[in-house]
Amino acid sequence: MAARVETAAAPARRRLLPYFALHEWLVFLTVAFLVLMALVGPALAPSGIYRSNILNALAPPSAEHWFGTDDQGRDVLWRVVAGAQISLLSSILIVVLYSLIGVAVATAATLGPRWLDEVIMRGTDIGLALPGLVVALGFAAALGPSIQSGIIAMALTGWPMTARLLRTTMRQTMEQPFVDGARALGVSPARLMLTHVLPNSLDVLIVKWAGDINNTLLILASLSFIGVGAQPPSPEWGAMISAGRSTMSTAWWAVAAPGAAVAVTAIAFGFLGDILQARRDPSLRKR
Amino acid sequence: MVDTPFANAPLVPATNDAAPLLDVRGLSVSFGHGPAAVRLVDNVSFAVGAGERVALVGESGSGKSVTAQALMRLNPHMQVSGVVQIGGCNLVALSDKEMTAERGASIGMVFQDPMSSLDPLMTIGDQVAETLRLRGVSAAAARARALRVLDELRVDRAAERLAAYPHEFSGGMRQRVVIAMALIGEPKVLIADEPTTALDVRVQERVLDLLYSVSKERGLAVLLITHDMGIVAGFADRVMVMYAGRIIEQNDVEPLFASPRHPYTQGLLGAIPRIDQKREQLQSIPGAPPTPFTRPPGCHFNPRCAMAMEICRKDYPAMIETGSARVACHIHGGGHA
Amino acid sequence: MLEIRGLSKSFRSAAGTSVQVLRDINFTVRPGQIAGLVGESGSGKSTVIRCALGLQRPDSGSVSYDGIDVHAARGPQLMRFRREVQPVFQDPYASLNPRMTVERLIDEGLRVHRLLPDAAARRDRVVELLEMVGLDASAMPRHPRAFSGGQRQRIAIARALAIGPRLLICDEPVSALDVSVQAQVINLLQEMQERLNLAILFVAHDLAVVRHICSEVAVLERGVIVESGKSDEVLGTSQYPYTRALLEAVPIADPLEARRRRCARLSVAASPGGNGYE
Repeated sequence: MAARVETAAAPARRRLLPYFALHEWLVFLTVAFLVLMALVGPALAPSGIYRSNILNALAPPSAEHWFGTDDQGRDVLWRVVAGAQISLLSSILIVVLYSLIGVAVATAATLGPRWLDEVIMRGTDIGLALPGLVVALGFAAALGPSIQSGIIAMALTGWPMTARLLRTTMRQTMEQPFVDGARALGVSPARLMLTHVLPNSLDVLIVKWAGDINNTLLILASLSFIGVGAQPPSPEWGAMISAGRSTMSTAWWAVAAPGAAVAVTAIAFGFLGDILQARRDPSLRKR
Repeated sequence: MVDTPFANAPLVPATNDAAPLLDVRGLSVSFGHGPAAVRLVDNVSFAVGAGERVALVGESGSGKSVTAQALMRLNPHMQVSGVVQIGGCNLVALSDKEMTAERGASIGMVFQDPMSSLDPLMTIGDQVAETLRLRGVSAAAARARALRVLDELRVDRAAERLAAYPHEFSGGMRQRVVIAMALIGEPKVLIADEPTTALDVRVQERVLDLLYSVSKERGLAVLLITHDMGIVAGFADRVMVMYAGRIIEQNDVEPLFASPRHPYTQGLLGAIPRIDQKREQLQSIPGAPPTPFTRPPGCHFNPRCAMAMEICRKDYPAMIETGSARVACHIHGGGHA
Repeated sequence: MLEIRGLSKSFRSAAGTSVQVLRDINFTVRPGQIAGLVGESGSGKSTVIRCALGLQRPDSGSVSYDGIDVHAARGPQLMRFRREVQPVFQDPYASLNPRMTVERLIDEGLRVHRLLPDAAARRDRVVELLEMVGLDASAMPRHPRAFSGGQRQRIAIARALAIGPRLLICDEPVSALDVSVQAQVINLLQEMQERLNLAILFVAHDLAVVRHICSEVAVLERGVIVESGKSDEVLGTSQYPYTRALLEAVPIADPLEARRRRCARLSVAASPGGNGYE
């Protein structure tokens, strides 16, 4: 007891001063830039990016078109910028939707009777065993190919990991003395969840979200690439890669630019997740 | 094995006039750099002689565990200054490599939680023998020594249990194993940091009795770090009371309990309920011990002290020596430090 | 007031075998009395507490509070039990929700039981409670992490007292605190007990603390109550071997007495045949 308090003193002070290394700042700036791009990109983009201009098709990168034009003669850079809204905001929407499902499922498993917990946990086992992309593919195909069905499909298939992680954390929180104290005070189950258990369990998801967005972005792009997600002429990145595929040998830029956008975004959010994780878990802190 | 007849032990331990085994002078420990640096232990000096048991008592934030870690140089982030002399060798001045050799050889340590000091995947025998194996002792010889130490610590059927794993042992047995690990290198000084805090009273008593016997038989100097005045009374020859990073009182055990001089020591003794006598109300010290960040100026105890005077808020009192007692308190005269 | 009758409880271990934690526990707390329950770690103390608070269902036996069968009670009956019986837990770092301010922590019970619908009146009550436990209104907007262990335990006590309970169930309320702070909390509990005429069930492993604060005491050994009675007798002159052994092992802050005891112990250990060690 004494030892813990004494030795904890110094690191505790360091944590009060927000300290970020250079690469951490780089990740934050990239993420901020991407989010900004998703929010204002389409408004800034010239209207030409949705219209064909066959005369100017497959122009290589130049001062006028930094990343060249695609097979319809549209500016690739601006399409990538405008596509950020569809790709990134859709991914965020999907993560929010399936997190809500996950929270509901985890709460039911934590509060409900033991058999319900068993049923739900076996259900998530099955959900986790199935390859997410394939299931989402099936859903999306059944709903008809569109970005909406891609979103619905992924929201409906993405929750098991969240539910499982959150349920484990909620179970641990439930064993904290302050939860016993609240129960002994006569707090209702709903209030117990909302004011005591969830606020002390959701930390674990905040970290997971960053990583999830990276994952979701890749799957969404894959769905569009296969042709069951966003449809041309949507500038969704996966759809752009798919459309550029046929001319890849002559016009590599039409594929490379959206591909790079997917890669940079995925990596940035992946790193963001790692940074948040390290901040939260003192055992991973190097300093 | 027959114990020394302790009934003949002198009531007041003979003071060791020869050079002490462990001699600590002006030990200070701080964490961090520049303006963010914080001093956890401030100018602590004491000595422990061969076969002497000295207790370092304090509450959380007093710096008692930090002192132990500093003696062992266990925390590389600590900045340690002062002198820690063991057998003519100043531990503070050693290189990291030399210090590694000293640990276990001249100074051993026992921690509070026996489970976290043991590797759950290693047999008891291997763990106890490890210190010797690292020094190049043969496996068979190390094993024989391990067996001898475990026998000395009265671990039953020690020979069979060398092959057992920590989880097969009870808390008290695990702590004996940890003590065996600390003793196998035949150190002259043993530091025990809250060695029985995690144990029930009956087991605690046995473990302390063992440490007591071992120190008698081996002439081992023991520095016991604890928060429990009851344990101190039953174990130590001499007591040092630590508060907010400094030793504020030091005396032989009997005079310290019979006539504590520092108001803090008096308060501590008045604050513990006694099983053998009924007290109407416990005397309580107001407030809480300061953290290393919130130590008040002057005597660090002054905001909680009923006898605080003007000077107590300004100057830290010097250590005054009268007979066996040393006390840092303005009430007992002396100037400021 | 609180009557525990024939309480038994077993848990299934990971290996699938059943471990009996409590066996036929009988225990009574009378109004206005501080009753103690002592036991070593693993004796089943916390299970008794969880059953007594109605947080855990026993296998058999009953807990009744003032005519309410705690494990069968529903609706208004259960709410009355919840209002009149409050816990104080051991670790003040874990027993206060870290996300709530001190004000919310203390007034939560008032909200849950709709005792003071008026926000200003609730606030006044929180201030009054804080002052009663030796803190002041400046604590209200802060979170538990801003306080020391002793202060947190005061907040926990204020939280428990907010809804005017008649019985406090304290689970090792001082064992996580510094020695100089333990006495403050013990004195506070005693003072509150006298001032509010509370009954207290005080569960602890520290026999000296229990003897100091309790008038009656029961000794729990591996899930069985082996002795009970007046605390001065049980924790003073008991001849029951287990209690005796516990009593003799309690460290005494008196070097002469401690030395006498050690000599007695070690001479037994050293004598032929007498092995004091397991």
